[in-house]
Amino acid sequence: MVSGANQAAGRFGQVISFSLAALAMIYLSYLLPRLLPGDFVTATYASANVTLTAEQEDGLRAYYTQDRGFGDYLLRLVTLDWGYSYAFLTPVSNLFLGALPWTILLLGSANLISMFIGFITGVEAAWRHGSRTEKGLVGGMTVLEGIPEICTGVILLVVFALNLQWFPAAGAETAYADATFFRRLIDIAHHLALPLTTLVLAYFPGNFLLTRNSMMMVIKAHYIETARAKGLPPRRIRYAHAARNALQPIVTRFGLRLAFMITGALVVERINSYPGLGTLLFNAIQARDLPVIQAVVLFSSLIVLCVILGMEGVYRIIDPRIGNAH
Amino acid sequence: MIDLSRLYRQDERSDLSSIFVMSIKTDEKKPRLGVVECSVLDIGYLFFIRCRSLRLPRRSSFKTTPYDMNVAFEPTALYVEEDIMKKDMLMFNLKWIFILLFILISVIGGSSALLAQEKVKEVRIGDGKGDWGYPSPYRHYPRGPGYVRMSWVFDTLVWKNKNGYIPALAKSWRYDPDSQSFIFELQEGVKWHDGKPFSAEDVAFTVNYFKKHPYPWVPLESVAGAEANGPNRVTIKLKKPDASFLAYVGGTMPVIPKHIWEKVDDPRRYNDPAAFIGTGPFKFIDFNKAKGTYLYQVNREYYLGQPKVDRLIYIKTGKPLISLVSGKADLVNIRPDMAQILEKKGMVVIKNQRGWNKKLMINHQKPPFNDKRFRKALAHAINQQEIIAKAHRGFGSPASFGLLSPDHEFYNPGTPVYEPDPAKAREILESLGYTKGKGGFYEKGGRPLVVELSASNITVAGESVTDRDGEVIKRELEGAGIRVKLVNMEQASTDARVRNWDFDLAVSGHGGLLGDAKILNRMISPKAKGSVNSVRYGASRELLDLLNAQVAEMDPEKRKRLVWKIQEIYADELPAISLYYPISMSAYNPEKRIKWYYTKGGVAFGIPISQNRMILVE
Repeated sequence: MVSGANQAAGRFGQVISFSLAALAMIYLSYLLPRLLPGDFVTATYASANVTLTAEQEDGLRAYYTQDRGFGDYLLRLVTLDWGYSYAFLTPVSNLFLGALPWTILLLGSANLISMFIGFITGVEAAWRHGSRTEKGLVGGMTVLEGIPEICTGVILLVVFALNLQWFPAAGAETAYADATFFRRLIDIAHHLALPLTTLVLAYFPGNFLLTRNSMMMVIKAHYIETARAKGLPPRRIRYAHAARNALQPIVTRFGLRLAFMITGALVVERINSYPGLGTLLFNAIQARDLPVIQAVVLFSSLIVLCVILGMEGVYRIIDPRIGNAH
Repeated sequence: MIDLSRLYRQDERSDLSSIFVMSIKTDEKKPRLGVVECSVLDIGYLFFIRCRSLRLPRRSSFKTTPYDMNVAFEPTALYVEEDIMKKDMLMFNLKWIFILLFILISVIGGSSALLAQEKVKEVRIGDGKGDWGYPSPYRHYPRGPGYVRMSWVFDTLVWKNKNGYIPALAKSWRYDPDSQSFIFELQEGVKWHDGKPFSAEDVAFTVNYFKKHPYPWVPLESVAGAEANGPNRVTIKLKKPDASFLAYVGGTMPVIPKHIWEKVDDPRRYNDPAAFIGTGPFKFIDFNKAKGTYLYQVNREYYLGQPKVDRLIYIKTGKPLISLVSGKADLVNIRPDMAQILEKKGMVVIKNQRGWNKKLMINHQKPPFNDKRFRKALAHAINQQEIIAKAHRGFGSPASFGLLSPDHEFYNPGTPVYEPDPAKAREILESLGYTKGKGGFYEKGGRPLVVELSASNITVAGESVTDRDGEVIKRELEGAGIRVKLVNMEQASTDARVRNWDFDLAVSGHGGLLGDAKILNRMISPKAKGSVNSVRYGASRELLDLLNAQVAEMDPEKRKRLVWKIQEIYADELPAISLYYPISMSAYNPEKRIKWYYTKGGVAFGIPISQNRMILVE
């Protein structure tokens, strides 16, 4: 009973601390964009083809920057009113939901694939510790890990988009192709290939090295010997016995990667002109489109919180000992 | 068969009774086998080993003798490893991954060939930024590409092509000096995209609507009002003569339908599909904000002729060269160093006249920059040719110090020139009381002369390309003894500081130098408070008077003389230093049989973009 009460109190404390963190993030998402030098009218009109007189400028500024304070911002957030984008004069939620699926598609698949490949190769390499293949893999991955995606992205573009012309260089799908559903799917996959490969090449070496290292610790453990002695098939030993215990750092990394979903893809989204939240944020900052910046910044910070919360749960599943630790 | 010749214990630390590892030999020369593990059945002193393997017969049992009788009475397993096996397995796994990847890639790559089909005739224009706002007058971004996207849908009264003014909604036009009015005779039988007839009422309405809800592209300060005289004639009355009227109003003002906009009170928020009804050669269908793509559909009833394509599409591409070569785009803006490669690949490269200049903004409101002599010292310290050579690999030409482009009809060839001459710059600085201090840098009254130089990446057609102008200028100024603090900032931050006079020197740039000479007023007059490209210079009364006079002068010859004088004074006052004209180019794929060109004097009032709606109309 006592431990149950403690646990409940712990849960409650956790909820409080997470809510406080969320509130702090909401405040930062409100404050930080306002600290950027320049405002929407200056960013949009100042160096434009039109020249504004003082009255015109004041009129525009009054029209666009209706700042009603943090309280109002918070209130509107609660009622799910994200405001209007200055640049498009459309609801921010429209813009946001238009970009979100592409980010999820690109980043989600990149993270899943790189985790999967990284994990498998990591486990296999650790199992073959000391072999030439393992050494080669570790060396190769360390090098690959050091190459930033801006570099691989451009190389892939030059080779596969310019020279071989296998894949398109920009966009998420052929604009206005009027294709059937199936063709459209293929078209999307076709456009996804280069940015996805770039991201996978950037993410998976890290996953590989991490898995291999944690596997190295695990395979020395006695329960692995027990498993061997039981006469279990080696694949089962590797994955069900050894790898499961090496899984936790990978899951942590996966979660953190997801948390950096928006900023993580900014470079690749820019190189491949891929629509997504990174591009949306980039353009919004250039144009000082405050409501959009706020929405993206807020979403990306809240997602960190959600991922941390979510990972607590996942840890319990992959390692039941955590649940009993209290 | 298998000879279990050697058994050995693997691990001394083991708590288990025993773990055996054995290597196996076969009759074959090369042991290719892959026994992964064997479990042992213990019957008395005999061990039966059950093998699971990939390549040996499954579950084949065979007999062997125990290696160590003392510990082996309860053996549970025998673990068999083979070195070759390890590699084999890994290669096996990797092979599968590669095979899967390869299949995936070839399926995707191959199926894309299926997509390469063309049912309708369409043209695709690539753009680095993608999104330029909705293509309606109040919602497009206030830059050239935004206006051009709107200009496919909305017509103006007059238009320009490669050679100059041509009729658009107005068949003919004339200026009546007595009544100070422009009289436009309109085309007959023009229809809006929704089928309603177009009339002089719409033009008059547009002028009055834009007066009420200002559209910054069309300055209507000099316009008193507009009136329809019958269905096909409209009179626009001026408050005072305005020489720039035809360029800035006649050739720039999009005519909007009265029957739709008369009900609209907040035009910026108005985003109904009806907001995109114009009379232009294309109807607006879609703008995808996330992807930065636009779709237009042909207007078959266009009064100036049949458009050449069924669909006009804008796509976003950060790699114009690749998109053009791979056929994803038919027209893109390119950097001059790409020209050769593209020409080799069969593309056509077109080059614009000098209409866009990079210029060094000077904060002439504070010392020491408020002294014209100091600004002249700066001009002598800067070597335009060196900036072009070092920061742009020679692609560009030095700018006139009088702001107007040498390709402009009103360009004054006698505009003062400041030869690059660091010695001259030093001479001026010394005459201003500066003395050489530490490291050869100037100081005055013991305080070193340090100027801050802000640089950002702006270039033609609203695109942003990194360059090293700031670095080269810093070096040049330091060569003349002026210490420079270089600050590289993102565009909007630099703009904000220039706007608020919170800077010393800033690298900036703007176009419009080929269009109507009113650009001089826009870029010089202190009234342009909200512009960061305008020098907002009010120190010379003479200059301001001349500016007002030239816009009011309806006689081109007389106006030209005024503009010549303005350039001389501007170059002498030097409120900013024009640096160079970058080479502005686009490239297109000739397969579509469309010949793109740069409009004479720029699209509308001077937009240096090679997308003119008449290019797509026969």
